[in-house]
Amino acid sequence: MSQATGRRGRIPWWMLVPGGLLMIVVIVVPLLAAVQISLLDLDQYTFREWLSAPFAGLANYTGALRDSSLLHAVWVSLGYSVIVTVVTVPIGVAAAVATHNAFRGRGLVRSVFLIPYVLPAFVVGTIWRIILQPQGIANQLLHGDGLWLNGPRSFWALVLVQAWSSWPLIYLLALAGLQSIDPLLHEAAALDGAGWWAKLRRIVLPLLRGPVALAAVIAFLHDLNAFTLPFVLFGVPAPRDVEVLPVLTYVESFQNFRFGVSAAMAIFSLILVLVPLVGYLRAVRLEKP
Amino acid sequence: MIARRGIAVLAGAVLLTSITACSSDSSSGDGAGKTLNVLVSANSIYPQQQKDWFASVSAKFAEQNGGAKVSFETFASPNDELTKIQTAVLAGQGPDVYSLGTTFTPTAYATGAFVELSADDWGKVGGRDRFLPSTLTLSGPDATHEVGIPFTSRPFVMAYNKDMLAAAGIDKPADTWDGLAAQAKQLTKPGQFGLAVAYGDGFDPWKFIWAMSVQAGNPLVADGKASLSDPVTLKAYQTYLGWLANDKVVDPAAVGWKNAQAIAAFGAGKAAFLPMVSATSKVTLDKSAVAGKYAYAIMPTVPPGQSALPANGKAATSILSGDNLVVAKYSKNKDLAYALIKMLTSAEWQETYYKTFGELPTNAEYAKTLQGDAALAAIVDSSSKAVGTPFSGAWSQVQLALVNVVVQSVPNLAKGKVDDAALQALLAKAQSDAQAALDKAKK
Amino acid sequence: MTRVRVREAQVQQLLPGPLRMIVVAVLLLLVGAPMAYVGLASVNSDLDVVAGEFWPSHLVLGNYVSIWSTVDLGSGLLNSFIVCGAVALTCVAVSLGSAYVLVRYAFRGKAMILRGLLALQSVPGTLLVLPVFVLFASTANAVGVQIIGTRWALIVTYLTFALPFSTWVMVTYLRGLPAELDEAAVIDGATPRQILLRIVLPLSWPGMVVSGIFAFLLGWNDVLYASVLTAPDTRTAAVALQVFGATQEGGAIPPYGQLMAAALVCAVPVVALYLVFQRYLVSGLTAGGVK
Repeated sequence: MSQATGRRGRIPWWMLVPGGLLMIVVIVVPLLAAVQISLLDLDQYTFREWLSAPFAGLANYTGALRDSSLLHAVWVSLGYSVIVTVVTVPIGVAAAVATHNAFRGRGLVRSVFLIPYVLPAFVVGTIWRIILQPQGIANQLLHGDGLWLNGPRSFWALVLVQAWSSWPLIYLLALAGLQSIDPLLHEAAALDGAGWWAKLRRIVLPLLRGPVALAAVIAFLHDLNAFTLPFVLFGVPAPRDVEVLPVLTYVESFQNFRFGVSAAMAIFSLILVLVPLVGYLRAVRLEKP
Repeated sequence: MIARRGIAVLAGAVLLTSITACSSDSSSGDGAGKTLNVLVSANSIYPQQQKDWFASVSAKFAEQNGGAKVSFETFASPNDELTKIQTAVLAGQGPDVYSLGTTFTPTAYATGAFVELSADDWGKVGGRDRFLPSTLTLSGPDATHEVGIPFTSRPFVMAYNKDMLAAAGIDKPADTWDGLAAQAKQLTKPGQFGLAVAYGDGFDPWKFIWAMSVQAGNPLVADGKASLSDPVTLKAYQTYLGWLANDKVVDPAAVGWKNAQAIAAFGAGKAAFLPMVSATSKVTLDKSAVAGKYAYAIMPTVPPGQSALPANGKAATSILSGDNLVVAKYSKNKDLAYALIKMLTSAEWQETYYKTFGELPTNAEYAKTLQGDAALAAIVDSSSKAVGTPFSGAWSQVQLALVNVVVQSVPNLAKGKVDDAALQALLAKAQSDAQAALDKAKK
Repeated sequence: MTRVRVREAQVQQLLPGPLRMIVVAVLLLLVGAPMAYVGLASVNSDLDVVAGEFWPSHLVLGNYVSIWSTVDLGSGLLNSFIVCGAVALTCVAVSLGSAYVLVRYAFRGKAMILRGLLALQSVPGTLLVLPVFVLFASTANAVGVQIIGTRWALIVTYLTFALPFSTWVMVTYLRGLPAELDEAAVIDGATPRQILLRIVLPLSWPGMVVSGIFAFLLGWNDVLYASVLTAPDTRTAAVALQVFGATQEGGAIPPYGQLMAAALVCAVPVVALYLVFQRYLVSGLTAGGVK
C-alpha cells in the first residue's frame, strides 16, 4: 500500500490544539508537580503545607532504591506484564479473525467478547478472589487445595486474571485493523489460489502489524499500570510474589504517607519503562508512516 | 519554562486557597443557607436505615440551627477514605466533619489538618465529661491536645458455639490463650475445627499480635522506640500461626481466608470459636445455621505461655476500636460542626444510633443504661477493658509492618509450618521499618 | 447473481468454517464460564458465596431488587452514562482531528509528538491523583466556580487520559486509508475541515468505534478518580459498586450476592451499546464504495 510521506502546505494546527491543551494541563502539569513532590520530604507531618515541605533532593530516589523493594517490584511488574502481553496478543488476534466474517449471531458474539473488559477491575478482582480462594471453585474443579492468592502460585493467578480481563483490548484493535484491509487483496489471494493459512500469514497478518504492534504496547502499559486488580485480588500488604509497582507506590503514598518516596518510585519506574518503549517504537517502526 | 510557570500558577493558587480558608471562619448562630459536609463510612448491611438516619439527622439539625443543611457523603473502604482525606487536606477543601477509625486518629492528628479542641470547643460539643473516659484514649496524645470526639465504640470479642462447647463438656471459654488452644484441640474433630481465623485478612491479624504482646507487657511502641522483635511478640506470632501449623485446630484453607470466610465457616457450624469479631457480626450470624446457638465472650487476657497476667502486662480484651469525629481546620462552618457533633453524641441520638446499627455508645449517660443487658454483657465488658493503641503519627505504618509479617508467612503456613528463622527475619524487617517510621515522627 | 455473491463471501473468508466455530466456542467458554459463576452467585446467599458453594441451595432473587436501594445504583448508572458518553464523543472528535494532522501532514517534531503521546500513556494514574485534585481545587478557587464534585471534573480528566491512546488508534487506522482519496479533494480546493468531515470521517468508523469504546470504558471502570472527584449526587456506577464489596471491621460479611447481581446489571447496558455500535465495525472501504 503506497503511503504519502505527508503533505506540505498550510497545516491545520487548530485540530491539534484541543487535545494538546488538555494533555498539557491535565497530564503534563500534574506530572511536573509530581516530579516536584518526588524531590520533597513530603509525609503526614508536612503535607498540609506541601509548598514549604523541606527539599530532599534525590534522597527519595536513593532511599527508594536502597530501602524498599522497588527493584523487586519493577522485576515482578515487568515480568508479569510481558507474559500477559505475549499471552493475550494471539488470543485477541484470533478472536478478531474469527469474528471478522459474517455469521449468524456474530453481533452477539462480538459483544460477549467485550464483557471481561467492561467489568470494572474491582469487580473482576472480587470475582476471581472468590473463585481462587482455597475452598473456591477453582480448587474444587482441579481437586486441589493449592494456595492461589499468596505464595509462588499467586504470580500465575495474577497473570491469569489480568490476561482474562485485558485480551478484549487487543481484540478490539485487531478487529478495527482488519476492516482497513483492502477487499481487493482477498480477491488477489484467491486468484493466486492461496489457502486460508497462506492468506492469513502472507497478507492479513502483515497488514495487521501496525494495529497489533500498537495493541501490544498499550496492553503492556495497561498491565504495567494496573493497580486496582492486584490490589483487590491480593490486598495490602501484598504478598511478595505479586508486589507490583502500582501497589507498592500506592501503599507508600496512601497508606505509609511517604508521598515523596512514592512519587520518586513512580517516576523512576516511568523512566525505566520509557527507555525500552522508545526502542520498541523504532524496532516496529510504529511512529514512522 | 512553561512547566515552571505551570507549577508557579499551581502553587500560587494553592496558597490562595489556604489564605482564604484561614480568613473566612464564620461564626454560627444563623445557619440559613449553609451546608455542612460530613464524611462517614457507607453501611452496606443497613443501607436503608443509614439513608433514613441521614434524613432524620438533617431534618432535626436544620430545625435546631436555623435551616442549616447537613450533607452526608459516604466512603466504601478505609483506603477510599484515606485517599479522600489526603486530597482534601492537600487542597484545603472538602468535608467539614470526618468520621475516622480510632486507630487512624493519631495519623490524622500528625497531619495537623484537624482542629485541636480547646476547652471552649469541648464545651460546644457538650463537654468532655459526657463521654466514657476509656473512649477518649485515642482522641489525642494527651488531654490538652485532642482532635477526635468519640462517636461510636466497636470493641472486639469472640463468638463461640454454645452447642459444641456443651457437647465437649466445656462450661465456658478459657481466659488464657493456652487454655483456648487446649479447648480448641478438644473441639477439633472430623468436619469441625476449634478456631476460625482469617490469616489472609489485610486488617485483622495485627490485632491478635498486639493484644498478646500488650498482655505480656510489650506495648510495641513506647517513647518513640519500636519493639517488634521482642521475644514476647515472636511468641505471639508463633502462637497465632501455630494454631494452624502445630495445634492443627484451624482449617488449613484458612491461610487464604479473609474475615468474611472465617465468619462463614463459623456460621456454617464448622468452627467452635471465632475470635476478633465486633457486634456487627450478629447481622450475619443471625442469618446463618448457628443462629441462636452462639454467644459472645471476651477474648483471653492472659498471654501465651503464661497462666496468669505478668506484672507488667495489661489485661487488654481488645484494641480500643470505634469511630471518632474530627473537624477539618479548613472548615468554614466550625461552630455548625460542633453543634452537629453535640447533637450526635447526646444520649438521645446515641440511643437511636445503637438501636439502628448495633454500635455501642460513647456517651457515658446512655452507656450506663446498657450495662444491664445480658446479651451485651461480654461486649460492654470488652469495651471497658479495651486498651488504646499507641498514640503515634507513625502507628499506621507500624500496623502495616505487623500485618506484613503474617502476609509473608502465609506461604510457609500453607505448607503447614512456622519457620522460626524466617519469622525472625520478617520481624527484624518489620522492626526496622517501624523504627524508621517512628524516627521520622519524632523530629 | 447469487453465485457471485457466494463466491465473493468465500473469497473474503479468513478462517474455514469449522475452525472458526472452534475458536469462537473456546473463547466463549473462556469468557462465559466465570460469568456463569457470577450469574449463579448473584442468586445465591452471601454466606454460600463466601463459602465457595457453586449451586445456590435456594434462589435469592431478592439480590436483584436490593441492589437498587443498597446504593443509588440508578443514579450511578445515569451519571456513568452521561460522563462516559460525553467523554467518548468528545474524545473521538478530538482524536480524529489530531490524527488527521499527524498522518497527512509532514512537519518537524511529528515523531516526537507520537512518541510523547505514548509517554503520556505510560504515566501511572496513581501518581497523578493528588496533583490533579489540587489543580482542580486551585483553579476552582481562582476562577470562583465549583469544579470538584461536578461531572465536568470527571469528564475533563477521563477525556484527557483517553486522548493519547485514542489518537494513536486513529493514527494507525488513518494510515491504513489510501492517501489518494483526499489528495483529489485537496486539488479540488477543499479545506481541511471539509476533507475531514466529508471524506475521512465516513471511512473511519471502525477506528472511531474502537476509540470511542475505549474512552467510554476508561471512565466506566475507574474508581480512583471518581471517588475523589465526585459528590454523592454525581457518583458513578463503579464507585457505587464498591460499596457492595465493603467490609465492616470485624463484622458482617459484605453483600457478595448483591455485588454479583450489580456487576451483571452494570455490564448489560454497555454490552448492549456495543451490540448497536459494532454495526459500524465494517470496512470503511467497502462501506464507502471506493473500489
